[in-house]
Amino acid sequence: MGKIIALHSYKGGTGKTLISVNLAATYARKGKDVCLLDLDFRAPSLHVIFRVDGAEYWLNDYLSGVCGIEKVLIDVTPKNPGKGKFLVGLANPTTEAIREMSAKDRKWEMRALGRLLSLKNSVLNDMHMDYIIFDTSPGLQYSSINAIVGADTVLVITGTDTSDIEGTQRMIHELYDLFEKKTAIIMNKVPCEVLPSKNQKRILRERYNINHTMPLMEVIPCSCDILRAGGTYIFSEEKPDHPFSKTLAKIASYIEAN
Amino acid sequence: MYKSLEKKPTIILQKIKESLDQLNDKMDVMIEIQRHNQKETQIMPDGTLDVMTLLSLPDHLRKTAVTLCKLGEGTADQIAELTKRARAVESGYLNQLVLMGYLRKERRGRKAYFYAEKQA
Repeated sequence: MGKIIALHSYKGGTGKTLISVNLAATYARKGKDVCLLDLDFRAPSLHVIFRVDGAEYWLNDYLSGVCGIEKVLIDVTPKNPGKGKFLVGLANPTTEAIREMSAKDRKWEMRALGRLLSLKNSVLNDMHMDYIIFDTSPGLQYSSINAIVGADTVLVITGTDTSDIEGTQRMIHELYDLFEKKTAIIMNKVPCEVLPSKNQKRILRERYNINHTMPLMEVIPCSCDILRAGGTYIFSEEKPDHPFSKTLAKIASYIEAN
Repeated sequence: MYKSLEKKPTIILQKIKESLDQLNDKMDVMIEIQRHNQKETQIMPDGTLDVMTLLSLPDHLRKTAVTLCKLGEGTADQIAELTKRARAVESGYLNQLVLMGYLRKERRGRKAYFYAEKQA
């Protein structure tokens, strides 16, 4: 059976969406069928990356019980042969929809959790997809915690900011551990000058005071190439040999094997 | 002989006192359980099992509740199979969640089904 991966962070702007999109593209390039869902209802962004002007149904509709998940998913599989299927589910970016989603009551959130949990059957079992990737809102939002409960593996993206690292360490013990989730930390946007060639993780742990209970999976250096791309294309598809794309391939293989 | 007759009522009274003490202890436990349940019901009068509620539950009950959320509805047997805990243990936890107002229980034939919300 396939896997559900949630990408989460304590603070915003850590690179969750960039990593989600490129991780999904990496799996598709490896021939895996992948479904990427935008669960960041406060700041939807996948519609811009995949250049979708308007969708008939959004994930908001699926979670409200208006339609089935198959009505929401849009096929964005690149034309190149040998690649896996690549589907995306978008969050409604209109101000009205964002306002509406932030005012949902606990009963609605409970039902939304049920619908997220049922994706395992509908998408992984019935549609035979290999991976579902949840791109979530930062912090302790209802939609993010729902996504964490529904996921098999949680990738937590952190920057080098002290408050981000401290918040991430707290979430490990007070959130992910409580739901018994496989958790791995990805440290993103690390300045190149603090990255030694050897014992990278040990030195980073010492420098940023990262305790040993924090499962640091991978380190992604700060890259001007990614900043230059400005989210106008899927980086790992266009530049598969770039160090960033290679790091994502390592992350993808690690999740596949565990 | 007189001495043993004098002692007998004292022994009987002593035994009655011990039994009363044991009863008192049991009553204290029951009152405490009742108080605890009332407190939980006051916090969550609508019995909604959302993620924030799941976070507030003790570890052993959270595991049962999350498993039930994944199934939608289920019996103690089905939950025990997924949590790898004994059926009797899961049955106890499920009934505790019913008492706390988070779950509902419905008998169908000989089996008891638990759910947070009736499925469409």
